[in-house]
This record gives sequence, C-alpha cells and structure tokens, in this order.
Amino acid sequence: MNTEALLSYVSSTPLTWLILTISAYKVGVFVYEKMGKNALFQPMIIALLLILPVVIYAKIPFQTYFQSLHFLHFFLGPATVALALPLYKNIAYIKAYFGPITITLFVGGLFAILSAVGILYLFGASHATMLSMTTKSITTPIGIIVAQDIGAIVSLSIGFIAITGLLGVLFGNVVFKWLNIKSDAAKGFSLGLVAHALGTSSAVEISENAAAFAALAMGLSGVLTAILLPIAIHFL
Amino acid sequence: MLKGILTLLVFQFIGECLAKLFTLKIPGAIIGMVFLLLFLILRKKSFHALDNSVFWLLRYLPLFILPSAVGIMTQFDTIANEALAILCSLVVGTFISLCFSAKLMDILISKKEQCHEH
Repeated sequence: MNTEALLSYVSSTPLTWLILTISAYKVGVFVYEKMGKNALFQPMIIALLLILPVVIYAKIPFQTYFQSLHFLHFFLGPATVALALPLYKNIAYIKAYFGPITITLFVGGLFAILSAVGILYLFGASHATMLSMTTKSITTPIGIIVAQDIGAIVSLSIGFIAITGLLGVLFGNVVFKWLNIKSDAAKGFSLGLVAHALGTSSAVEISENAAAFAALAMGLSGVLTAILLPIAIHFL
Repeated sequence: MLKGILTLLVFQFIGECLAKLFTLKIPGAIIGMVFLLLFLILRKKSFHALDNSVFWLLRYLPLFILPSAVGIMTQFDTIANEALAILCSLVVGTFISLCFSAKLMDILISKKEQCHEH
C-alpha cells in the first residue's frame, strides 16, 4: 500500500476541498434552518467555522485551497451580472421618490464609507485594513470584485461585509423606532444601502414596499460604489 | 436554463472586454451588469431561462464566496492587532450610517409629500 501517494493525492485534488466545502455549507444551511433562520447563524459563517480548522490542521496553504476551488470563485462574475435582474424588477420604484433616492444614495453611501474608515483612521489602523473597510456596505459578490480591483485584502473585506450585514439587521428596528422613521421606503432603502443583502432580507419582514426599496438601494449602491470607488482610490 | 447562463456569461464577457479595451477602472462584471440592466429595460421584460439561472446563482452565492472567505486564515494577525479599531469602526460606523440614511431619506420624503399637498 502506498499511503504517501494516497495522502499527496487527497491533499491536492480539488475533490477533497470541494466535498469539504459543499458539506460544510450543507451543515450551515441545516443549522440556519434549525435556528429559525436567525441572521446570526448565516450558513456561510457556520461553513467557515467548519472549514477553517480542517484547512489549518492539515497545514494546507490558503493558495492551494483557493486554487482547487477556483471554479466556484469564478461564478462570482456571472452572479454579479445576475444582480441586474432584481435591480430591474424594482427599478420602477425610483420614479416615486427620484430626488430622495438620489440624494440618500450619494450622501448616505458616502457617509457609510467615510464613517467606518474615519473611525479606523482615528485608531491608527493600517492602510490595508482601511482599504478593506471601504467595501463594507455593498453586497458581497460586488464587494469581492471591487476589493480585488483596489488591492484590498479580499478576505478581510468579506468579513467586514458579513459583520456589517449582521449589525444592520440587529440595529434596524431599534434605530427606526428611536428616530421615529415613518416611511417604509426610508426604512428599506437605508437597510439595503448600509447592510446590503442581509438588510434587504430583514426589510422583507417590515413590508413589501420596504423590501423593494432595500433591493433597489443594494443594487444601486453596489453599482455606484464599483464605478466610483476604484476611480476615487486611484486619485488618492 | 442554459440560455440564461449563456446570457450572463456573454454580458460579463462584453463587460470585461470593454474594460480591457478602454483600460477602464470599473470591474468588467459591473459593466456587464449595467448592460444587462439596460437590455432588460429596453426589452421591457425578462425571460424564463434568465429568471431560473439568476435564482440558481444567487441561491448558491455563499458557496461561491467561501473560497475567498477562507483566506481569513492568513489574516488572524491583522485582526488580533487591530481588533478594537475594527470592532468600533464596524459597530459605530454601521449604527450612525443607518441612523443618518434612514433619517435623511425620511425627511426628504416627508418634505416631498408636503410639497405635493400644497
């Protein structure tokens, strides 16, 4: 028996990492559903907690893991293009509040980036961390593509995006009650703008109108950030 | 289904090619997304195969994100060194951004509706 050949095959074939990754994700979905679809038990976070110990314990370099799953990563491109459809389905809502939407999109979107990066700056955080924070409020597939583009640390960006989404869901109703927000459009739009996909899924629980404005905000801020951020960083 | 996937791939391809051709700073997939959006607006409706493909891709999105997310294993030092800064930035930043955007849009909408009443 050639155990060495077996071990070297097992650690290098994409099959190992594909089976591990899909199983971990399946467990993640199972736990998420068992926990009543609580945002804190995101399938991706559970999957990550299962995959990380295995990859670290097996002493597999991240590059090896990533390259063997590169074809999964590839689908982020088509998935980003796919975001045109939910945006198209809600685009008619722009007409109702064109002015408020445009102003909130630009001013609120800029505020979300500057407030987070500003706080990091006050703490004297590293340049790489600040760069990785700029994508925190946009939806993950666009966030990853933009993070790669601007030379941020992609995995940090993903972590920041995921936590921002969770916090947005957590703060949503508290903030709306505290500030006495009346319009469902404003609630949904701010959730989609600040907390991307997770915010949008929590806006579904407010009302159909809120959900539509959240999807609109998520799509528009994703596109706008992807267009303006690389240009802005180029000039800094 | 295949027609839907093909549509998405072709739009991404066009976007990536345009980005290369004009050395644009915008990611190609985003250009593809904007073109698909314009295409749908002009066509005035989506089609079944596209709906299916989009549903499938967005449903399994976390699976496509995971390979990059595992990269966090190379960043434990950064996170440990800057934990407080990162935590404050995320918690305070998200809280004030949500307050700011919600209040701003709420005020703008109520002003707009008052204008319509008068």
